[in-house]
Amino acid sequence: MSHFTIDEKIIGSESLPLFTLTINDSQATSIYSDGDLQAELVNTLRRNTNIPIFDLQEGLYMRLSVEDNIAFFLKWFNCKMPLPKILVEFELHTCAKKALDKCSESEIRRVYFAKYFISGYKKMVFQEPIHGVDVITVNNFINMLQKIKDLQIPVLILVSSMEHAVLLGDRVYKLKQDGLQEVEADEGEVEDTSIQSELESPRGPVAANLFKIPARVGDKMILFDPTEIDYIESQDGKTMIMINEESYAMEDTLAEANKKLEVFGFYRCHRSYIVNLQKVREIITWSKNSYSLRISNKVQSTIPLSRSKIQDIQEKLNLK
Amino acid sequence: MSVQRIHAIFEKDLKDLPRNIALLMLPVSNILLALIYSLTVDGEPPIAFLYLIAGATFSMVTSGIMMSMIAEENEKNTMRGLIQSPASLLDIIIGKSLVTGIITAISLMVSLMIVGIEPLMNFRAIIGLILMFLFFLLVGIGIGLFSKSLAATSGYLMPVMFLFGFTPMIATFQLAEDSIIIRTTNTFPIMQAIELYDNNFWMPLGILTAWIIGAALFTFICFRKVMTDD
Repeated sequence: MSHFTIDEKIIGSESLPLFTLTINDSQATSIYSDGDLQAELVNTLRRNTNIPIFDLQEGLYMRLSVEDNIAFFLKWFNCKMPLPKILVEFELHTCAKKALDKCSESEIRRVYFAKYFISGYKKMVFQEPIHGVDVITVNNFINMLQKIKDLQIPVLILVSSMEHAVLLGDRVYKLKQDGLQEVEADEGEVEDTSIQSELESPRGPVAANLFKIPARVGDKMILFDPTEIDYIESQDGKTMIMINEESYAMEDTLAEANKKLEVFGFYRCHRSYIVNLQKVREIITWSKNSYSLRISNKVQSTIPLSRSKIQDIQEKLNLK
Repeated sequence: MSVQRIHAIFEKDLKDLPRNIALLMLPVSNILLALIYSLTVDGEPPIAFLYLIAGATFSMVTSGIMMSMIAEENEKNTMRGLIQSPASLLDIIIGKSLVTGIITAISLMVSLMIVGIEPLMNFRAIIGLILMFLFFLLVGIGIGLFSKSLAATSGYLMPVMFLFGFTPMIATFQLAEDSIIIRTTNTFPIMQAIELYDNNFWMPLGILTAWIIGAALFTFICFRKVMTDD
């Protein structure tokens, strides 16, 4: 079984969070992150490893036909597969004689896929492979991933859309400034747990995906996932959602927000604070028996914890 | 080095060349030059003129096409992912040189046949032509490797064309026979090829070889630079 690992030694840069990730050949791995982090990750991999990164940035021979391009790549990479088979597998047989500069973007994308597939590397990293292409091409890429897995080639896919990450990856990770987290993506399992959780508690992942917290910025309405929120603070009578030191005004009062968010693991830790317990990194005990909570976000905010709540929160976090 | 890959590049570029109108203009304009001459002047052309045609062919077709083909791969970034070692870059260069060789041979034959090829059909002249081809090919490879875009190559092609391609024209500028310019240009490849044809054998052969070694050195430096840049 082949695999490759991205670890602290490879990352070794200030602008990326440190993590260790092993990509094996039985499961396609996808990492979802914003564009900046993705670019940083790609640069780091380029600099510190020789893993090929397929970013669709290199040129193809635009004057030549699809067929001539593929024929050239087959020969260059010494690939024994017959040309007609590749053309059919990548659904290029209908445009085989067309020059590339007359082809649609989706057709050209499939030529890229064919090239990468033919290249025969033993590790593969794709960057935004299905961004902006049609359904046929997306399906085609999914089929190709299966073929790559059958050939026991470990593959990593970098995308900036959660939808694509879940669609393409068997294992899905979310890369943020504060680290790499695995996202539950297995559809079968989600169904099971949602049925279970409906019976036991209302804290099911399905409900979590659907529930959004609205906030106003100017005249725009922004919807937040409860899991994104670090904590909620009451400032001068206004309820503010805090995410990485940025604040967004919310319509509800703190008490109303607490009621809605309790099921998502939020906790009223102070008269004017509701904290997302998932994000609590540390309970700081000051002298004189006062407490603070340190949040695991970029700026490592600390928020106060009422003395009367310490018992309660320790119970909730199973510390006692 | 791999014959398979050389063949792949050769086949690809041979298919690509007829679709590349800009590159096709080079041999075409060269043949037009010969055609215009043969239509306007009667009788045997002077030897210097035959070499002028050859020089124009080598500079425009050999150097020009070679540097454009390499520079286009650079500019459009098509070589990325193909080149994993110096050997595969060498494969690309050899494959392209073969294509350039074929198109040069065709264009040289056609344009010389138009003006009268007979005086050049002997051993000495052919040796001279082959050495000139090598010189211009190496210059083309070197320039192609370091220029980042197609537009840049047309700029670089100009001095190559005027200095090395059209050297016999400089004699028509009415400069004094022993002036520094004439004495310098007399050592240029084309003038030496004429010398090889007209008079002695070994001396011009040596000087031509020196030019080729110089061009090869230039190409090698460009090659090393490209490989270390990546």
